[in-house]
Amino acid sequence: MRKLVIAAMASGLAFANVNSVQAADPVRIGFSLPLTGIFAPAAPSQKNAYELWRDQINASGGLDIAGTKRPVEFVSYDDQSDPGQAAKIYEKLIVEDKVDLLLGPWGTPAHVAVAGVLERHKFPMVGDTAASVLLRGMKPGYIWFPTSALPDEMGKQLPLMLKSLGVKTVSITTAQHPFALENKKFIVEGLKANGIGIVSDADYPLDIRDMTALISTAKAAHPDAELSLSMTGDSVLYMRQSKELGFTPKVQYMLVGPAATFFTKIFGEQVDGLLTMGHWSPSQKAWPKAKPFFDAYVAKYNEPPDYLDSELSYEACEILQQAVANAGLDHEKLRKTFATETFDTIDGPVKFDGVVNATTPTMFLQYQKGVYEIVWPKEQATAAIIDRK
Amino acid sequence: MSSQLVIAALVSGSIYALIALGLNLIYGTMRLLNVAHGDFVMIGAYCAYWCVKLTGVSPLLAMLVAIPLTAGIGVVLYFGIFRMAMRSREFVERIEANSLLIFFGTSVIVENLTALAFTPNQRGYRYQDGIVEFLGAVVPVNKLIVLAIAAAVCIGAVVFFRISTLGLAIKALIQQREASALVGIPVARIDLICFCLGFAVAGLAGVLISMTEEISPFMGFPFTVVAFVVVILGGLGNVTGSLFGGLLLGVLETFGVALTAPSYRSIMIYAVFIAVLIFRPQGLFGSARART
Repeated sequence: MRKLVIAAMASGLAFANVNSVQAADPVRIGFSLPLTGIFAPAAPSQKNAYELWRDQINASGGLDIAGTKRPVEFVSYDDQSDPGQAAKIYEKLIVEDKVDLLLGPWGTPAHVAVAGVLERHKFPMVGDTAASVLLRGMKPGYIWFPTSALPDEMGKQLPLMLKSLGVKTVSITTAQHPFALENKKFIVEGLKANGIGIVSDADYPLDIRDMTALISTAKAAHPDAELSLSMTGDSVLYMRQSKELGFTPKVQYMLVGPAATFFTKIFGEQVDGLLTMGHWSPSQKAWPKAKPFFDAYVAKYNEPPDYLDSELSYEACEILQQAVANAGLDHEKLRKTFATETFDTIDGPVKFDGVVNATTPTMFLQYQKGVYEIVWPKEQATAAIIDRK
Repeated sequence: MSSQLVIAALVSGSIYALIALGLNLIYGTMRLLNVAHGDFVMIGAYCAYWCVKLTGVSPLLAMLVAIPLTAGIGVVLYFGIFRMAMRSREFVERIEANSLLIFFGTSVIVENLTALAFTPNQRGYRYQDGIVEFLGAVVPVNKLIVLAIAAAVCIGAVVFFRISTLGLAIKALIQQREASALVGIPVARIDLICFCLGFAVAGLAGVLISMTEEISPFMGFPFTVVAFVVVILGGLGNVTGSLFGGLLLGVLETFGVALTAPSYRSIMIYAVFIAVLIFRPQGLFGSARART
């Protein structure tokens, strides 16, 4: 009997030991980012957000997987800015690396490319840095997008905001990039519907090196507002040259660029009054997690987060975190959780309808004294719109 | 408007000419196709950025660091790779293709090492960005500084190749490499000097570009492409021609866009590029026989 008790105790200890080892096993989360190639400048703001979240989770004892806390370990690869490569990497992450969970790659094309892989392996993933009306047409099931900056909705809201500012005429300069051109299509429709005239309209290639002629033409048309439907690199050129040429209408909107950290680092107070796309601000008191995220990011990286990419990436991590706390790592349970639950994020509550975010409204931001404030729609505004300086 | 465009064309053109000068110098003397040239422009730009950010000095002083640094990298590459490689008959027989592959590898390594060291983030600093009126155009002071330095170096290069002994020796080497050796020109030494000068000019161009544009580890490739277009316009190995080629490209790009639409920029540039290759393969500013 005594032997039996000792044996039982020993086996119990061994079992407990196995359990503690299993509890300490990291949960492996895979993703690819463009660490090299043409999109490489976009990667750090997403990578930083992922790593901030991972470090916070690990510091708090690990990721809660249906009641068991496990440390987070990333398995990441460089997709060389190639969406095709991203698809191959996600295949490898699922089949060879056998990761437990996935986070998104960078950009719409890479998300679209990996969607088929997710579908094939029935592996659910919340994407992040993608925004296109193409997303609305994607088959719901294994991918979701938290952005609310979709071109069709922005095309409706931007003219409404301009109209509220008394704008009657605009000039438009558009980068020849699918996202910028998609935005232009919907904005032009919205402008027409709201009786706002377009006095100057020109597209330009992404590798443009001088915008003198382009901006001079827009300036000569004396618009009430300038809409620069820019992408990342050209946004800096536009900003520099519009200032050089003295083209600073009271209302100036830029699509992509201003929300990125490098932009305000380069231009500082010159950005004051500039409007841009985005749906998040640390000033939004209705979202109690917003400011702590901003502060933690600044404390870790000594610079503010990208108001689009960093925010969306961290938000996707939060959604993943809350989903696995409920559903664990079972893919089918996770899929149902993503599809049906409401998640509490730094961008407020998020619930998906199909693949897109159904709760966060389309918003616009304006840089005011070192921070981007939400200025549209009025119900969400953290500050009133000011004139461009 | 037109004076505005003239200044814009001159600024772009002088930078293009400067970058192409370095590329053409290396190609002209050694027939090496340096597709990593733009990456040395990038190194010069990063050098200026960090000098300005860390020490607060003027980017003009950063030239004193960037030029020796890029020239030094040239020395390392010359002794580390090309001097040895050029002793091999097989390498020399296919020198253009081989050098293109070596520089392509160099480009990938330099870009990714820079991204690893400094992150791929875009960076920039503000330098003399106040606006002044110049010849009826409003121009930021930094662009006038860029124009003045780039133009001075280009004009200096033309004079150097016409009157100095070293410049004439380089010209001789470009025109008749074997004959130059026979008349006592120290070919190996001139090769090294041109290699260093080519890289140094790229570094200088990088410093100037950083004064007016944002920089990133991957900024170099478009400048390499532009430099090749300019070199084809001016004539491969024709150093003086490449200076005029740079200006021509600046004018073509700026006025072409103003007269048509920005979307036609690349179409215009590459149409001229292909036309020159077909109808005047020796370049717009060179004769079929003589170079420089």
